[in-house]
Amino acid sequence: MVNEIINNDFEAVKNAATAVVDFNATWCGPCRMLAPVIEELSEELEDVEFFACDVDDNGALAQAFGIQSIPAVGLFKNGRLVEMSVGFKPKSAIKQFITSRA
Amino acid sequence: MERYDIAIIGTGPAGISAALTAKLRSRSLVLLGSTELSQKLTKAHRIDNYPGLPQISGEDFARRLREQLSDMEIPVTEKQVSTVYAMGDYFVLQAGEDMIESRTVIVASGVMQGKLLPGEEKYLGRGVSYCATCDARLYQGKTVAVIGSSAEAPREAEFLAEIVEKVLYFPVLGELPQERSNITVLHEKPAEILGDRSVTALRTDLGDHEVSCVFVLRDAVMPDKLVPGVETDGPHIRVGMDMETSIPGLFACGDIAGKPYQYVKAAGQGNVAALSAVRYLLGAAGNNIKEEA
Repeated sequence: MVNEIINNDFEAVKNAATAVVDFNATWCGPCRMLAPVIEELSEELEDVEFFACDVDDNGALAQAFGIQSIPAVGLFKNGRLVEMSVGFKPKSAIKQFITSRA
Repeated sequence: MERYDIAIIGTGPAGISAALTAKLRSRSLVLLGSTELSQKLTKAHRIDNYPGLPQISGEDFARRLREQLSDMEIPVTEKQVSTVYAMGDYFVLQAGEDMIESRTVIVASGVMQGKLLPGEEKYLGRGVSYCATCDARLYQGKTVAVIGSSAEAPREAEFLAEIVEKVLYFPVLGELPQERSNITVLHEKPAEILGDRSVTALRTDLGDHEVSCVFVLRDAVMPDKLVPGVETDGPHIRVGMDMETSIPGLFACGDIAGKPYQYVKAAGQGNVAALSAVRYLLGAAGNNIKEEA
């Protein structure tokens, strides 16, 4: 399951040992393609918590993490950003990005 | 939505060869490109090393390819694919506003001639676009530039003009768009894309033009833009002997798979790519059966 972040509320990400945040927007084509990939990975990777963050609705978070191009997938450990993967990537590459650092 | 077995991008000798083989193997397929087939091919003066077709002109060769496609009942779907998304066990191809799903993809879209404009890569997605039909709505009420380097570019510019405030059209190749009050054709040479956080202007040999977006419309795009995440080698997609790429289920052939840029090599690789795709499909089906058992 992918949890929607609303009102810039980042508490759940901070409280997760490992979290993946998919920064996206409704008008961004590649973001729409990445969403089902993230959804599938959230089912496959049980030890990781998954979040979706619409950058238009959560401007403060987007700014805090310096999001300049979307989709951007951030890997967080205890709320701290470990690394960001920018742009659509194949499912296997996103999985690798998460599991090699998780 | 129908999910094809094999989607083939490109209607040069590589793509057509792949389509013929896929059809002979009774796979559902979609062949995406142009009914004119390939500009490079039709402009070829004479081909001297194609076995069985001595001294054939490019135009004649293209005509015979068209006849063969029609005899084999393989239609050409006139669409330009801007992005191939690898979703895991299938692919989604974005072609204008349409999304096409396929289990395998064969990329035979040719190699990009020439270089990127300075600023093009930096501002891609932030005011540089390769797809007018995808991104037009983002520039409602704005002025945009179109660099027309493809046969389809004039049509795309006309489409843009229905949505945006004003189109500055810079013809590099081919025809001009139809006359419209909000399309201005400028015979200037694009030199650089300027911007700060996003695009602000297009610089040419004669001056700067303030625009919100530059649509760079070429017949071929850089392979890592066409297929995000695929392993590339300069303007080529990296392939193995079976025309396989770094993404399972995605194959490449013809000029985009590397030199030599020869028709006979392209056709041969197209055949190999189609057979590899069929083998991949059989393997994927086998896995499913095992899982279910």
